[in-house]
Amino acid sequence: MPPDNGGYMVAAYIVTAVILVSYAVGLWRRVSRALRQRGAP
Amino acid sequence: MTTADSARALVRRGTAVTVVALLALAGVYVLALLYTPVEARQGLAQKIFYLHVPAAWSALLAFSLVGICGGLYLWLNDRRLDRFAASSAEVGVAFGVVMLTTGPIWAKPIWGTWWTWDARLTLTLFLFFLFVGYLALRAALHDPSERARFSAVVGVLGLLLVPFIHLSVYLFRTLHPQPVVLKPSAPSLPPEMLRTLMVSALVFVLLYAGLVTIRYGLAVMEEEREERFDAA
Amino acid sequence: MPESLRLALAVAAKDIRAELRSRTALLSALVFAALVLVIFNFARDPTALAAVDLAPSVLWVTFALAAMVALNRAFTVERENGALDGLLLAPVPRGALFIGKLLANLAFVGTVEAVTLPLFVLFFNVDLGYALPGIAGVTALATIGFVAVGTIFSAMAVRTRFAELMLPVLLLPFMVPPLIGAVQVTARLLDGRPLSEMLGWFRLLALYDIVFVTLCTLAFAAVMDE
Repeated sequence: MPPDNGGYMVAAYIVTAVILVSYAVGLWRRVSRALRQRGAP
Repeated sequence: MTTADSARALVRRGTAVTVVALLALAGVYVLALLYTPVEARQGLAQKIFYLHVPAAWSALLAFSLVGICGGLYLWLNDRRLDRFAASSAEVGVAFGVVMLTTGPIWAKPIWGTWWTWDARLTLTLFLFFLFVGYLALRAALHDPSERARFSAVVGVLGLLLVPFIHLSVYLFRTLHPQPVVLKPSAPSLPPEMLRTLMVSALVFVLLYAGLVTIRYGLAVMEEEREERFDAA
Repeated sequence: MPESLRLALAVAAKDIRAELRSRTALLSALVFAALVLVIFNFARDPTALAAVDLAPSVLWVTFALAAMVALNRAFTVERENGALDGLLLAPVPRGALFIGKLLANLAFVGTVEAVTLPLFVLFFNVDLGYALPGIAGVTALATIGFVAVGTIFSAMAVRTRFAELMLPVLLLPFMVPPLIGAVQVTARLLDGRPLSEMLGWFRLLALYDIVFVTLCTLAFAAVMDE
């Protein structure tokens, strides 16, 4: 009978997704800001 | 093609790769959570392994490139190498945070403790400190040439530190074997687990490539803006 | 004597003379080291843990902190005198300049270590005995390692606004392998273990020194370029 530690797995999977998606979104926002400042056509 | 156009092209390409990679990551989640077998002794928590290990490999890849590009920059003096190193460092930190959070979340159920000074976790911590130091130095230097040269030196020295950290921990560990609650995964993995791990690793590297491309494009844009201000 | 070596020694002598003239940094480092030792003594429960178990860690934390103080004082000297600009105009090869600064920093840290060690023996009632040459040896090896990296990082950090903060952030990861090795060897020496048990650590320390002193000497040119 494997130990009941599914909670940890869920936590890790959520945390990973949050970190990576936040970083990607953050990058995108910085890019949009830079494009706006330059007056993108 | 002006620098602004090439920057925008890079960002577009990078975004496309990133989106594909994130979708693939979702696929990996499904694969790891539903299709790979549950390890009998370690339970569901063992599946953290499919995220933690690829994240660590990507962070190590990111940092190696920071060091290698730094060394090449010192030799060739090509601005693009510096831009790439800086981008790789920033993306590397993101993977580093994943590494440092999933590590303890994995260690607690498997080893019974949130932290342990074994080779793997210790290296992840040091890699993180090195990334942070590298980025902090860059943020504190305003002259572009100084910033590029100094961070290149830190990158190279940092990359060479990694084997020493590993050696120190190895020497320490062979004399102080650590108690384990459950033995972590043996090196010979059943094929489904190995396959999932490899797929996940590829997806992480793809994500790294996409994010670095976007970041590089952003760096080009920022440099161009800096130059216009200086000229004004 | 080869020209570069002579230049390095000249640079070292200049730095050491500057330090001896003011002496405030040396004294504050010594007082600081003594203070750390006193605090450690009161922090531990004498019945719970024997002094000799904690001793190596306490000694090396003290040495590491003293090294930080030493490297920090190098900033204020450079900034106040603008001495660095003068040196750069002179045709001193950058490698020799680095070795000179390294020697000056080693002299400073070495002095603090040499004074701290007897204080440590006194406060912690440690019996050094036959361990002394070994301890001197490992101290020299470890110190060379982290002072070399510290010297180049302090040259970089001085160009930033928060130099005193930037130096530890950059340097601490690099201090860890020499410190681990030093503590392990010191612990074994104080335990009276045979040298054969520590050869691995000595080799690690020596390799670290060779790699990093060489690299930092070569890299110094990139840090000094205008």
